[in-house]
Amino acid sequence: MLTAPTTPGFLADAPRYLFLTGKGGVGKTSIACAAAVTLARAGRSVLLVSTDPASNVGQVFGLTIGNTLTAVPAVPGLSALEIDPDQAATAYRERIVAPVRGLLPEAEVALIAEQLSGACTTEIASFNEFTALLTDEGAVAGFDHVVFDTAPTGHTIRLLQLPASWTDFLQTGKGDASCLGPLAGLDRQRHVYADAVAALADPDLTRLVLVTRAHRAAVDEVARTHTELAALGMVRQHLVVNAVMPRPRSGDRLAQAVFDREQAVLATLPAELAGLPRDVLELKAATMVGLDALALLLQPGGEPEPSTVPAAPVELPAGTVGLSALVDELAAQGHGLVMTMGKGGVGKTTVAAALAVALADRGLPVHLTTTDPAAHLNQTLGGTTANLEVSRIDPAVETERYRQAVLQRRGAALDEAGRASLEEDLRSPCTEEIAVFQAFSKVVNEGRRRFVVIDTAPTGHTLLLLDATGSYHRDVVRQLGSTAGTLTTPMMRLQDPAHTKVLVVTLPEATPVLEAEDLAGDLRRAGIEPWAWVINTSLAAARTTDPLLLARAANERPQIARVLTDDAERCAIVPMLAHEPVGVDALRALASTGASEPVPV
Amino acid sequence: MSTIEVYEPAMCCSTGVCGPDVPQDLVSFSADLDWLRGQGTEVARHNLAGEPSRFTEQPAVLAFMQVSGSEGLPLVLVDGVIAMTGRYPSRDELARWAGVTARPALAVLPMAGAAGGCCGGGGSC
Repeated sequence: MLTAPTTPGFLADAPRYLFLTGKGGVGKTSIACAAAVTLARAGRSVLLVSTDPASNVGQVFGLTIGNTLTAVPAVPGLSALEIDPDQAATAYRERIVAPVRGLLPEAEVALIAEQLSGACTTEIASFNEFTALLTDEGAVAGFDHVVFDTAPTGHTIRLLQLPASWTDFLQTGKGDASCLGPLAGLDRQRHVYADAVAALADPDLTRLVLVTRAHRAAVDEVARTHTELAALGMVRQHLVVNAVMPRPRSGDRLAQAVFDREQAVLATLPAELAGLPRDVLELKAATMVGLDALALLLQPGGEPEPSTVPAAPVELPAGTVGLSALVDELAAQGHGLVMTMGKGGVGKTTVAAALAVALADRGLPVHLTTTDPAAHLNQTLGGTTANLEVSRIDPAVETERYRQAVLQRRGAALDEAGRASLEEDLRSPCTEEIAVFQAFSKVVNEGRRRFVVIDTAPTGHTLLLLDATGSYHRDVVRQLGSTAGTLTTPMMRLQDPAHTKVLVVTLPEATPVLEAEDLAGDLRRAGIEPWAWVINTSLAAARTTDPLLLARAANERPQIARVLTDDAERCAIVPMLAHEPVGVDALRALASTGASEPVPV
Repeated sequence: MSTIEVYEPAMCCSTGVCGPDVPQDLVSFSADLDWLRGQGTEVARHNLAGEPSRFTEQPAVLAFMQVSGSEGLPLVLVDGVIAMTGRYPSRDELARWAGVTARPALAVLPMAGAAGGCCGGGGSC
């Protein structure tokens, strides 16, 4: 087709700063690249900043970029910069830890480093790195636009805005301020951060682009982000729905089901998102590498080149199994704790429920504990089955209970600034994790007698902190009454591979695999090795004849191969299904087939 | 006037939010510091996680850390001398170091039969 390229709405009258935000794997980096190229080709000077840990911006443009401002020769006017958040966090941590290494005992240094190894620190460290780009400091002054493939979270912005976080700490070093762990390595003048935060909240300077897929979990997450950041003044927001299945012409059942499901999500967007200016980008066959592929990203039309469509269904790499193989191995043990772990939206609950049903079917007593809202759980199980007990932990309720308890006991003694800090601490992601972990640590020991399947797991960081401070251990001792010597704490149970099996759940795409690797590495730090990996919603494992889906299925192979070689001792693949596996029968079907015999759609 | 500094163990947040429980002694201590501030005396608090180099700058604190480690914290330094370790000071103790008069404290009598007996909870009789 020779129609002129259309400019998507989110680039119309673009302000100086564009921030893209959304769940990992929705395509933020690709869209940021395409946006930067589009703006540069319209004659603007553009700086593209990637803070994606798997940044492939260099690969996209065929050059090495890294942490230096690099001109992209193929696109006049475009420069790029890659900030590696892990590297930034390491450097940030070193600023604090290095001066005391060799002076303080090694165990103390390790503990301090662990305090600074959480997600909050990584975020603040990245923000610290790109702060200068948001103020009129030197190098960036000449650019018309700066495009970021990420945005700080509300928690980070609020921390930086809190007066209590600064006044004492940075000026005089007398801090009773609270979440200073993450903030302790900030190395610029206070006004620089204040200016950066002000630039974010200035609608004439900054536009926030919410990127999502037409999937319920991703949409819900950007809806929360929208509300949180709008409250902080980032009111100019656009919605981009990426990789939406175009109306299939192949007559393929799976393709039609995916199309219908995504259209239903688009038709029922939450009100706060439905009111935003919106661009819908179609699913493309190719991976977004090279300028030609990028040029297509923002344009309609997703039909693959005939040459890119595999002639036959994609074969799964040797070594992958179906969920049934995992169930067989678990069942042989007769009891134990099974936890599914992964980022939101990868299907932890479905996998946990399928395993629980399959184990119960074999006559084994199973207790399934889920953090999923009750409505969805009932839908998923759709009735009861013998040997299966289901209980539920409501993260919102647990977190609120914990929050209230802390505020009551601690908040009363604080002045206004102190209370504001405390309340922000209690909004950190760690708080929810701790509250939920407390709730489910009650069932950890049950795994000695029967199967306990939980659809969530604490991060290694949290486990290490709770364990290192000893407070968790003491808490347990107090609850159980002191029977020193024979005591086994939940942490020891979690580290015992005979008792606990952690299943890392991910999707066959680059960023979700990388995020899962981070989670697994974090667990390893806490002395827990994931027992198996589950790659969910795989097109390669599904039966499809649709050319677009076949082309996408072929793209999954490198990700599956990577998990097999680098990550997993056991790797199960679950196919993408035409319909959500709702009800006992559907879950049973999901768990009882091997990888070589896909679930019928 | 004396300089009082308190060196505290590593806490993700000095509010203790990251632990499974909020220690009561931290709560009382914060309230006591507020009171002392009201009397015109400032007490500096140093968290091992946030500013570890503070712990190595003071020879007395560094030596203590090398022998006892953070399990021996908190540590109270008064004019560079270690005045107390292993627990948070009471309001009376803070007042004495600061040279101010503590307001008549509510009499807290040890209760017979309370957990830990007469001197429960690690306090000194």
